[in-house]
Amino acid sequence: MSGVSVLKFSFVLMMLLVFASQSYVFMTIAQVSESEASSALTSAEGAVDSAYQAVSKAEESGANVSGLLVRLNEAGWFLIRAHMAYKSGDFDSVLKFATQSQEKLNGFVADVDALKETAIQEHYLDFMVNVAGSIIGAIGVVCCSFIVWFFLKRKYEKVGSMV
Amino acid sequence: MRLHEYRVLFMVATGILTLLVASPALSRLLVLPRTEFFTELWILDLNHRAEDYPFNITRSQNYSVFLGIGNRLGYCAYYLVEVKFRNQTQLAPTSFGPPTNRTPSSLPALFNITAFVADETVWEMPLTFSFDYGFNETLSQVEFYNLTLNNVKVDMSGYTITWDSEKWGFFGYLFFELWIFNNTVSNFRYHERFVGLRFNMTVY
Repeated sequence: MSGVSVLKFSFVLMMLLVFASQSYVFMTIAQVSESEASSALTSAEGAVDSAYQAVSKAEESGANVSGLLVRLNEAGWFLIRAHMAYKSGDFDSVLKFATQSQEKLNGFVADVDALKETAIQEHYLDFMVNVAGSIIGAIGVVCCSFIVWFFLKRKYEKVGSMV
Repeated sequence: MRLHEYRVLFMVATGILTLLVASPALSRLLVLPRTEFFTELWILDLNHRAEDYPFNITRSQNYSVFLGIGNRLGYCAYYLVEVKFRNQTQLAPTSFGPPTNRTPSSLPALFNITAFVADETVWEMPLTFSFDYGFNETLSQVEFYNLTLNNVKVDMSGYTITWDSEKWGFFGYLFFELWIFNNTVSNFRYHERFVGLRFNMTVY
């Protein structure tokens, strides 16, 4: 056997090994076990629950959460798809949908906190201008009226005594 | 003319001006508290009306409706809509009578939809569905294979409808039960209401 044929044989063997290892890796990735799927599902459920709790608290402090609810509804849709896939035993899809659900909620709690902070500031400003401001303004109007009336009365009495 | 004759006029003018200046605060303080807290649930046809609902169903034909939820509970709610199907002999859920008597259907959900709805807002979702079924001439019954809802195929094997000799047809009901997330128990509870569509499954 010549050196060239040995070289050719080694090359073919190496290529085969490379392909075999790739398909092995692919199969390992593609096949998701039930426990992995279940854990992904639990984790996605936890993320959705936490996001809901955060949104509820933000809404209580007066934040407009409609924009965030769109994201939360999308995450909820993927979670439902993950649940359905789990029921039918399609664990690959469970992992896919659970991951998509969690991706939708990336940075969600931080966004909610920022919105909550803005809402608290706006609420404070609104209170200062519209509630405190207008009450102080009304008291001011009453006080000014008394002062004006007092000066008018004094002026009138002065003019009356001169006449 | 004496000044004290203008006293009343001056006081009235002062009162009106005070009320005007205080109106932003008054509008916030003098608000009647909400006393009724509830959820609305509806199905509308494609034109957003309650009149042209699908009734005569042909196999594999797409039908569309809108499912909507209106939240008037005073807080952001987490709803779950369980989509179920029953024939004329299976029991429907209840939504009237004393709260303890209102029960969901014991049938399994074919499909679930979640909805997060802020207080005083409305959530709506278009639903497109089709049924894949066959007619078993020997047993004279409609046998279902699949329900496709918003491009998601759901297995319906085991679902059958027998001939209704009184009303002359194979009648089925697709209904939507509303459940709500209860923070105390961290689980969903039947929210005592449902909406549904009645179908006549045509076989020829």
